[in-house]
Amino acid sequence: MTALLEITDLSVDYGEGTGSTHAVNHVSFTLEHGEFVGLVGESGSGKSTFGFAVTGLSKPPARIAGGSILLDGVDIASLSTGELREQRHGGVAMVLQSGMNALNPVRSIRNHFVDIFRAHGHVERGDWGSRAAELVGKVELPASVLDRYPGELSGGMRQRVSIALALSLEPKLMVFDEPTTALDVLVQHAVMDTIIELQKKENFTALLISHDLGIVLESAQRVLVMHEGEIVEDAPSRQILERPGDDYTKMLLSHYADPRAEVVELPGFEGRHRAPADAHPPTVSSRTRRKDQKAIVVDHVSKVYPAPRRGESQVTAVDDVSFTLEPGQSLALVGASGSGKSTLAKLITAVEKPSSGSVRFGDLDVGSLRRGQFRRLHRDVQMVFQDPYAALNPLHTVEYTLTRPVVNFTGLKGLDARRRVLELLDTVGLSPVEEFAAKLPHQLSGGQRQRVVIARALASDPQVIIADEPVSMLDVSLRAGVLALLEDLREQWGVSLLYITHDLLSARVVTDNIMVLNGGRVVERGNTAEVLRNPTDEYTIRLLDAIPNPGRQDVA
Amino acid sequence: MSTQSIPPSTRAVRAIEQASIAPAPSPLKVVLRVASTVWSNGKARIGIIILGLFILIAVFAPLIAPYGARQNGFDRSADASAAHWLGTTAAGEDVLSQLIWGSQISIFVGLVAGLLSTVIAVLVGLSWGYVRGFGADVINFIVNLFLVIPGLPLMIVIAAYLSGGGIGMIIVVVVITGWAWGARVLRSQTQSLRSRDFVTAAVFSGERPFRIVFREILPNMTSLIVGNFFGAATAAILAEAGLEYLGLGDTTVVSWGTMLFWAQNSNALLTGQWALLFAPGLCIALLATSLTLINFGVDGISNPRLREGKQR
Repeated sequence: MTALLEITDLSVDYGEGTGSTHAVNHVSFTLEHGEFVGLVGESGSGKSTFGFAVTGLSKPPARIAGGSILLDGVDIASLSTGELREQRHGGVAMVLQSGMNALNPVRSIRNHFVDIFRAHGHVERGDWGSRAAELVGKVELPASVLDRYPGELSGGMRQRVSIALALSLEPKLMVFDEPTTALDVLVQHAVMDTIIELQKKENFTALLISHDLGIVLESAQRVLVMHEGEIVEDAPSRQILERPGDDYTKMLLSHYADPRAEVVELPGFEGRHRAPADAHPPTVSSRTRRKDQKAIVVDHVSKVYPAPRRGESQVTAVDDVSFTLEPGQSLALVGASGSGKSTLAKLITAVEKPSSGSVRFGDLDVGSLRRGQFRRLHRDVQMVFQDPYAALNPLHTVEYTLTRPVVNFTGLKGLDARRRVLELLDTVGLSPVEEFAAKLPHQLSGGQRQRVVIARALASDPQVIIADEPVSMLDVSLRAGVLALLEDLREQWGVSLLYITHDLLSARVVTDNIMVLNGGRVVERGNTAEVLRNPTDEYTIRLLDAIPNPGRQDVA
Repeated sequence: MSTQSIPPSTRAVRAIEQASIAPAPSPLKVVLRVASTVWSNGKARIGIIILGLFILIAVFAPLIAPYGARQNGFDRSADASAAHWLGTTAAGEDVLSQLIWGSQISIFVGLVAGLLSTVIAVLVGLSWGYVRGFGADVINFIVNLFLVIPGLPLMIVIAAYLSGGGIGMIIVVVVITGWAWGARVLRSQTQSLRSRDFVTAAVFSGERPFRIVFREILPNMTSLIVGNFFGAATAAILAEAGLEYLGLGDTTVVSWGTMLFWAQNSNALLTGQWALLFAPGLCIALLATSLTLINFGVDGISNPRLREGKQR
């Protein structure tokens, strides 16, 4: 049997001439009929560029610079736009990361199917309805969704619809580009299960592109590891897991661990033992206000939002939550999306006001602060944002970004302020400091940006840092560095840390205590290691099960 | 990013000494890059050339124009000849000279009124987009008021009320009726930017609202503001010509609008002097078109997908 997809010496460049970047560099491999192959790489490895090239969707400035992509003996790169469209039926289909946003919000789901049927004419007009119902059935959705509009469906349902749409042309090859990355952890797991089952039932060939080696190892039979545009390893999943050949693969694998294990070790955290906060007195001389340490007290707080539409019930985002964040303590707030953890962060930082109950920081009543008084709170309570790409103004240099809070909160001016800025950069490990101070955000990597965001949060010498998913947007290899930095800050500066995440593994590594939120309520709390090793609540167990872990279960 | 070193500003030199990294682009380079982006668009290039020609004509009018703008005493309503390329008016003035001198007024009014209404639109739009609650409702009401009143009748009413003010009055009228649309566009962009993390982060940095709006948000919508300026200038040029054509301006000033007014008054079309109507009309249309064409290039600054010649 000949291979379904044969890629020989494929190169894709961005731009032309001397300034071009080689995103994909002389890649060769073959896909057999019915195979499920995973393609793993970190951001910038060229995996998505590669996926677009395979599906014939490369757009300028991307350019196929050499090599061939043979699908059933036909070179995709040489097809005209019209031929490519013909080929979509029974050829290659693609499911995008943002596939859930690829649906037209003003057209019902049925219309989306009808568009495809009409364009290709492969389904009799009379069968349109039944065929569409059959397709959504395949992705485990009821036929009633056909009359819904995209806005009425959840993210997971929309991603399922886009998978069904891709299936409607009976493709031989399905390319999934990060199909679950934008979804909630629990939904992610369910959608992945659907994809795996579909592949077995429909017997199409699947290429799963993902940054998450865990997900790929769980689903694919063979794994390609991509690094800087080249495939560094091509081996069956089991072999990758047990005997990874390439150093890069080994590095990726080292960042996975089971949060339930007795001892969790990640690179950067080896042999580190979680010590009580008071065992490490602050060592940085600049901390002067150590004595008036204040705790954050959240007392029976609820937050109720008015009904989104008439006739619907109001939304209770946070439901009677109480806790105290002692100085120097680190507390993890975990839960799936919609569990109320980010709302809680907003309540603590006075961005939102509680519907009932109170939030206090020392003698400051956070709930009753007005806009003009925010400085009093933000001097001591600072925030690290989730997305380092959105949290820095693209037009300001690092120096400007850091100088502003220094000037606003510490009253330092001119050279003193500059010295403080450089000191902050040094603290977060961005050296040579002068060089980094002059840079603009787009010249920094994601990890470096997140360090700048952390430096900004430290500028006012705060007592509390609230970190809202600080590493979820970062590559696996960068996560450990940022987490280790947060951990160091807590130990050396005595900063207390409220760590908001859905990632139980990172929570295990950086926090002492944990609170599990579900539907706005605290369902479980206690010492992080104990809760994760012996979870009692069913929701905690589900969260733990949803973590892809190559080592835990049988690899296909 | 090129490896060429940046100009030796003191701070940069200290920072870049040990650098093998790409230096931060200097402001000059940014401006050059933006200019080349606009220039690379074919339509914008045509627009820039046309606008450039008009500006040159306006600046060097004293040198180019064969006669003075109000110099009369030539044959009345003469046809085109070697002495008067476009003929003369009913009052015995040289049409070509009037056309050349008149460009000064149109360009001046277009740029000044465009600039003023953009400034008002920026001030109103940005603060309106940033504030919430009662204040925003009040601004909303006022802006809507200006948006729903039909522009031309309002202009005529105001112009008639302020009659005899000359160019300054025309600019005031154009600005009053022209800022609201820009304010609404800038407001919606401000609203979308204000929910970005970096704006929230600025609040956490202890920034005052004024600084957040004008140092964090404003620079991120430069291309929109520039686009708004060209749009407003186009509208201003057309409005100025329209008002003067209706005789609402100072009819003793020589501009393209008043040329049309006098041509109409002397029934130029009936006497076969098409150049008298056609020439200023064409100039107004060309100038307005050039600004609109430049806007195509400005669009490409913020949205690379609109850049031409890169689609397949």
